[in-house]
Amino acid sequence: MLERFALGAQVALQPYALLMTLLGVAWGILGGALPGISGSIAMALLLPFTFGMDPAVALMMLAGVYVGAMYGGSITAILISTPGTPGSAITVVDGYALHQRGQSGKALGVSLVTGTVGGIAGVFLLVAFAVPLSRIALAFGPPEYFAFGVFGLALISSFVGRDLVKGGISAVLGLMLATVGTDPFSGTPRFTFGSVDLVGGVAAAAGMIGLFAVSEIFYQVAEGVDWERIRGRYTTKLPSLLELWRLRVATLIGIVFGTIEGLLPGGGGAIASFIAYNEAKRWSKHPEEFGRGSLEGVAAPETANNVVTATALIPLLTFGIPGSNSAAILLAGMMLHGLQPGPALFDRTPHVVYGLFVGLLVANLFMLGLGLLALRPSIALVNVRRPFLLAGILGLVLVGAYSINNSMVEVWIVLLTGLVGYFMRRYGYNVLAMVLGFVLGFMVEANLRRSLLISLGDPWVFFTRPISALLLALAVLTFTWPILRRIREERRLVARAAQGLAERAAG
Amino acid sequence: MRRADLVAGLTLLAVAAVYFHQSLFIVRGFASDRLGPAFMPRLLAGALALLALALLARATAGRSEASPPPPARVGLLAGTVVLLVAYALVMPRVGFLLATPAFLAAVLVCLGVREPVPLVLVAAGITAALYGVFGRLLGVLLPPGPLGRL
Repeated sequence: MLERFALGAQVALQPYALLMTLLGVAWGILGGALPGISGSIAMALLLPFTFGMDPAVALMMLAGVYVGAMYGGSITAILISTPGTPGSAITVVDGYALHQRGQSGKALGVSLVTGTVGGIAGVFLLVAFAVPLSRIALAFGPPEYFAFGVFGLALISSFVGRDLVKGGISAVLGLMLATVGTDPFSGTPRFTFGSVDLVGGVAAAAGMIGLFAVSEIFYQVAEGVDWERIRGRYTTKLPSLLELWRLRVATLIGIVFGTIEGLLPGGGGAIASFIAYNEAKRWSKHPEEFGRGSLEGVAAPETANNVVTATALIPLLTFGIPGSNSAAILLAGMMLHGLQPGPALFDRTPHVVYGLFVGLLVANLFMLGLGLLALRPSIALVNVRRPFLLAGILGLVLVGAYSINNSMVEVWIVLLTGLVGYFMRRYGYNVLAMVLGFVLGFMVEANLRRSLLISLGDPWVFFTRPISALLLALAVLTFTWPILRRIREERRLVARAAQGLAERAAG
Repeated sequence: MRRADLVAGLTLLAVAAVYFHQSLFIVRGFASDRLGPAFMPRLLAGALALLALALLARATAGRSEASPPPPARVGLLAGTVVLLVAYALVMPRVGFLLATPAFLAAVLVCLGVREPVPLVLVAAGITAALYGVFGRLLGVLLPPGPLGRL
């Protein structure tokens, strides 16, 4: 193990390899920060340039893009409420709230530091436990995926606050939006209204840009405070070491859930970051700050989605199963250089595999450095006069929506979902619940039907398989716990009020 | 929020009805796909209808929460939305490089920028930056229009 690591370090720490990794990370941060350009697109654009390189260096550069894109998406999630991937959707809640309170530097700093910690922890898990952990991936069949998705959906009850009716409506609307396009299972088109443009469905990025970013622009245009008063208030102050130390529990929670989801091909980090956020809130000493700008609320999901970048490579390297679009591009990069994933890869070309591992560590450190460098300029960009900022964001998200498929369809989707999101915010519905339903709907439905196909229609398949049964039980607990607690609190308040009245009547 | 809840409840009922109606046209998949492609949509249509009825029941019983104050700048919002729709209609025809600065300048005027120099500079600057990054660096095929591809 150690010799192999040394071998990998020899490859990865050469100046040329370091330079290419640095360029990869910078390109990834840029690509991740641009709405509509995902990490996988940024990697695909770079793929042709890696043809002539040494395979180890080529993979390091691609891995650099992969790592950088995760943080790039967090920058826009925090500063303009536009998550780059579903994995950073939940970061919008507290990250953007912190930004609106002026603590932009703190939010970005926490995202960067905990993301780096998560990324490095993920690499160590990858190195130490790749083979044993890959067995967990094999234990996950369609029923387990279905149960995991339901677990994710169950979080809605803790996200929506007091109004369960409006929260439920929001979630159902999101699930409905996910059914547009080609059916995940039989391939027949649904709700396309005869339009070829909708056959591909509503792109996750388009739905998130509309619901989060465009609705926020509409909200700022229509309501809220006088623009001139809030000019230049976004500060670049970084979190202190003490503040970072207080995030250790949230970070650890992020590592745990990020590891689990990274192992599941197709997970992509969305569920892990949502669950990590929810658990961090339950374990927090200040759960009331969640949703209003909690540093822990940024730390937990940002750790989780960065752990996923590393642990998603476990099924890729051991079985050749790509866990995400980005991992698929990485797989393409390996194939182009004649590398066949599988356990033999570790023995036959250790310098490539361990070079990639060391490269991932280096890429995470580069991300920290470049992220710190980019922090001030990116905050300066949002500190301009409010009309200029709003026009700039509009231009950016419109071009971003267009570039998802080089088509105007996504632009229209973004406008429509933006208006829907605006009215939802205004009248007490929950945009986050809608995004959660939208992001998970496809996976839940496909795996529900796939499970029943395997079990020949027997619904007990979800309860007789231990992991699936456990996840479903957790889902029920997760769903009912916040509701029961709310009822108990309300009863206590009513009792206290009644007692007060009685005392006043007696006195 | 009673009136808003009534309007929303009725609208959502209509959405559920249209969505359910559309689900009738989904082509059945293969036989071993027990639930079929229309199961989930019909389940969701039912759930939305039930929730909308709950919202309506709450509103008619007078248990809705207090309304938010009316938006301070409705006119600006309407103006922005109209400009966005116009941009989305016109941009594919006249091209990105012509439509975008005009759209951005109009948005800025709508949002209250009156000084001509910053107005023009910012509208042109944002367009140039977006074109450079998306159109050039990332190779996105932005609509060229009569100007062609520069």
